[in-house]
Amino acid sequence: MDKVRERCLTGIEALDNILNGGVPKGNTVLITGSAGTGKTTMSIEFLVHGAMKGEKGLYISVTEASEKLLENLIVYDFFSKEMIQKGIIFIDIPEIYEKLGMNKLQFSMEDINLLIENIVKIVSEFNVKRVVIDSITSICYRLQTEEKIMEFILRLSKALSELGCTTFLVSELLPSAKGYSQYGVEEAVSDGIILLGNLERKGDLLRTLRVVKMRGTSHSRATYVLDITSIGILLVPLLKGGGEMV
Amino acid sequence: MNKEEFQKKLKSYQEPLSVSVSISLSNYFDAIKQILEDFSSNKNLPVIYISATIPSKSISTVLDVYGVDSKKIFFVDCISHIMMSSTAYSERTVFVESPTMLETIMLKAQYILNKYVTGGSVIVIDSVNSLAIHNDMKILSEFLHLFVTYLRSRGAYFVILSMKEQSNNEISNILNFVSDEILEVE
Repeated sequence: MDKVRERCLTGIEALDNILNGGVPKGNTVLITGSAGTGKTTMSIEFLVHGAMKGEKGLYISVTEASEKLLENLIVYDFFSKEMIQKGIIFIDIPEIYEKLGMNKLQFSMEDINLLIENIVKIVSEFNVKRVVIDSITSICYRLQTEEKIMEFILRLSKALSELGCTTFLVSELLPSAKGYSQYGVEEAVSDGIILLGNLERKGDLLRTLRVVKMRGTSHSRATYVLDITSIGILLVPLLKGGGEMV
Repeated sequence: MNKEEFQKKLKSYQEPLSVSVSISLSNYFDAIKQILEDFSSNKNLPVIYISATIPSKSISTVLDVYGVDSKKIFFVDCISHIMMSSTAYSERTVFVESPTMLETIMLKAQYILNKYVTGGSVIVIDSVNSLAIHNDMKILSEFLHLFVTYLRSRGAYFVILSMKEQSNNEISNILNFVSDEILEVE
């Protein structure tokens, strides 16, 4: 039997069941997969459900302007502009880079420290309990070395965890990728890995989800089929009909 | 059993159960009408109709002709796309690209239940034979086992239609496994 750790419910009922009650609070989880697999949708849903419970969320957008992202969210029944405005802070990272004078293509250790300090400051100031960085891969691109990536993720995770924050790091994968992250380091230092994929079976393309690792809880490692609907993400077990994860 | 006995049998069901109904091509629409009238109109339960034989639009048209109230009937249509039929938006119909996407059929049924249904419901699968044309028996058995077990735990009745002319031993074995009762309608 698991020693029970306090949980952070994602609000995606089936995922919380797979995780035996949700993500252990304070964990840093890599949400990884190739394009179109539902990483951003899942992360936003995680923040929205938090906001509905009064837990402030922070969404750091690295690759897409948050304004454009919000436009795509209107299709969801659980979306309410007022609740999003009150409950979730959207920040486009270029604004932080500009504010901190981080214009270089490759970040130094000093830059990394500045970036972490800044994120932690926002989290403390607004009592944020859920953070999403979308995507960590784009930040890693500017860190370049494995040492710097490891240092950045470890220090950020530790600081956010100490503030009681549960964090989703969105990681972009190429469909042909072998591991769970672009640089190989992200997956090693994260507390959890949720792998989203595409499964091709007899010409059909199914979205899939698998919890590869999650520290602090026992969980299913089976593959599930995922559907993005107006009421949120739904999951059912993958039927064992063959086919490979793409 | 004849039409009257079938009607009586349907009326007698008071608790959620899984029933397979073997029908012939000649009484296909009559049987559907009876099932939908009993569960939707008489028992006042929402119906999730999984159409894998003919497009939901055709079934809707027939129900209109028969005068069956279809306000509480939702369709999971998994044949229109593959037949390149029109798939116009309707609040009561969700489309699945192909009858081979069995998990998606489960997901769409779950979506309708979560979004529109509180309390009991009826799931009609039309038909096991059509699904068997597009899927191998192993995955079809697994699908029916999971689907029936999961939705029965949510208080749903299950009606699985089977076409007498297209049945075989394998299909009968699956139906025996997932059904509480098997009815043959003349």
